[in-house]
Amino acid sequence: MLKSWRCCLSLFLLGVLGPGVVSAGHSFENTAIVRTVELGGSLVHVTTTYAVKALEDGSRLYTLALADSEHEKTSWLEAKIKGEAAVLSLEEFGYSPDGGAYLYTVELPNALKANGTANLVVETVQTHVTYPWPDQAAQSDGQSLKYETDLLVLSPYHTAVQRTKIRSPLPQIHSYTTLDDFDDFTTESPVTKSGATITYGPYYNIPPSSNKDFIAEKQKHVIVHYAYDNPMLEVLSLKRTAEISHWGANLNIEDKVHLQNSGAKLKGHFSRLEHQSSQYYGRPSPQMLPALTLHLPAGIHSAYFYDLVGNVSTSHLRVAPSVPKGVQSNLNSVMELRPRYPLMGGWNYSFTLGWDSPLRDYAGWDKQTGKYIVGVPLMTIINGAVVNDAEIKIILPEGATDIDYSPPFPSLHSNLSTHVTYLDTIGRPAITLHYKDLTYNHAGTIYVTYKAPFSTLLRKPMAVAAAFISLFLVGFAAKRVDIRIK
Amino acid sequence: MADYASIQALHKASPAFSPYIPVGLLPYLAFLLLSSTFALAFYFSTLPKQTLPVREAAVASLASVLGGFGVVALFCSVGVYV
Repeated sequence: MLKSWRCCLSLFLLGVLGPGVVSAGHSFENTAIVRTVELGGSLVHVTTTYAVKALEDGSRLYTLALADSEHEKTSWLEAKIKGEAAVLSLEEFGYSPDGGAYLYTVELPNALKANGTANLVVETVQTHVTYPWPDQAAQSDGQSLKYETDLLVLSPYHTAVQRTKIRSPLPQIHSYTTLDDFDDFTTESPVTKSGATITYGPYYNIPPSSNKDFIAEKQKHVIVHYAYDNPMLEVLSLKRTAEISHWGANLNIEDKVHLQNSGAKLKGHFSRLEHQSSQYYGRPSPQMLPALTLHLPAGIHSAYFYDLVGNVSTSHLRVAPSVPKGVQSNLNSVMELRPRYPLMGGWNYSFTLGWDSPLRDYAGWDKQTGKYIVGVPLMTIINGAVVNDAEIKIILPEGATDIDYSPPFPSLHSNLSTHVTYLDTIGRPAITLHYKDLTYNHAGTIYVTYKAPFSTLLRKPMAVAAAFISLFLVGFAAKRVDIRIK
Repeated sequence: MADYASIQALHKASPAFSPYIPVGLLPYLAFLLLSSTFALAFYFSTLPKQTLPVREAAVASLASVLGGFGVVALFCSVGVYV
């Protein structure tokens, strides 16, 4: 379970936090909460807007609550003030003392006076929260997914009004929980549907809800069954290796991807005839993945794409010109990959994709500390896919010392090891970072700093020279041995 | 451990990595060095035996060092960036 946040609150604030949060119900009030759920395949994007009102002067730390199940499925959490680009610092408080919810504290940029208001926008991305229903579908059938969530947004503060909007990508919504006997908090109809949007609410005067009692009594479960006409993709495992070479001034990045179509499993046999005819008539199966388009970094060359069988020639790379280090650019090389077979529901495909890129676009040299700084991209985004398990290994040049690394967000665990490859004597230091449940928001850069003086560069030629010298010694000895028969 | 934003700024501001030997020269360097190694090895094989093998040692050492750099340059030229 991975979260992303800027952990900049100091221990001092943590000390202030303790008593503040337990009595959190007193310093804020939610005047309105609007939660918008954008349904998708593997990923669901939830945006919750809190209109908060401070009840006392100097209120700055607002507490967010996430229910148990929601917390488990949330893979990205970011809070901002509406209309501003700056990300607010989030601190994980932990499980609520009253039970039932995980709490996070958000630091507002300006302390609010009594009755001061602010609009907080919290964006989350949920993974593994939808499932195909029915879970089997024939080649030409469509695909439908079910999404489950809780009805009410939890909060440790009193809420004046809240509503939840669930937006489906297509207008075909097969069914949704209608809450026939639910009349708490509302006098009108508890749920309305308009086109592809289902609105649960508005619900009025909800007391502080992030506690076990409220959840047991009042919380309701909502299930939406909707049509989805794109393949549901999951990368079961991603192993990225980034190898830095100083002799060749090159950064090689290699991804070993195990891709799965986790949508409705294929019912019956795969009919190549049906597949070809559906492609010909322009009605391809919606849950099938025929090809992938990936956006790779600019300035790459010598890309390779192979799987267990061998090289896969059905790929096309269009390279974008090289972009200098550190420059934010929208230029991407486009790689169209066509696996050996179309990925039907429940099918897997493992492949290796790698490329070389000039090291000057990724590494810099800091004269003051005498260290090299390299920025390694964490992952390549596969549209709509969640990466269940990721392992990123950064291999530094032989003899590198004083190694330090800064990932964009903390890893589950990391370790330093030795990687031995061509022309190595002592082996190369390698940093391995492990992550879980990565989404498109997690594609950042890992910065690694290390020292690699000139003497480390000489290690390889000297190793090869030693091998040559041994050959010359053999020749030297052979000249002095007389094997003639006397 | 400095924080992420400062490392990001340092990464952007620092001068880009540049190798001691330009990468474009490596194939030519590989050819030169390896052909010198070959020539010196051939010369080594023609040297007469001496009690104190000074000449043989010198030629062998020079050939080995040139060969060492030549092989590294060769690896980089063919795409195995060591």
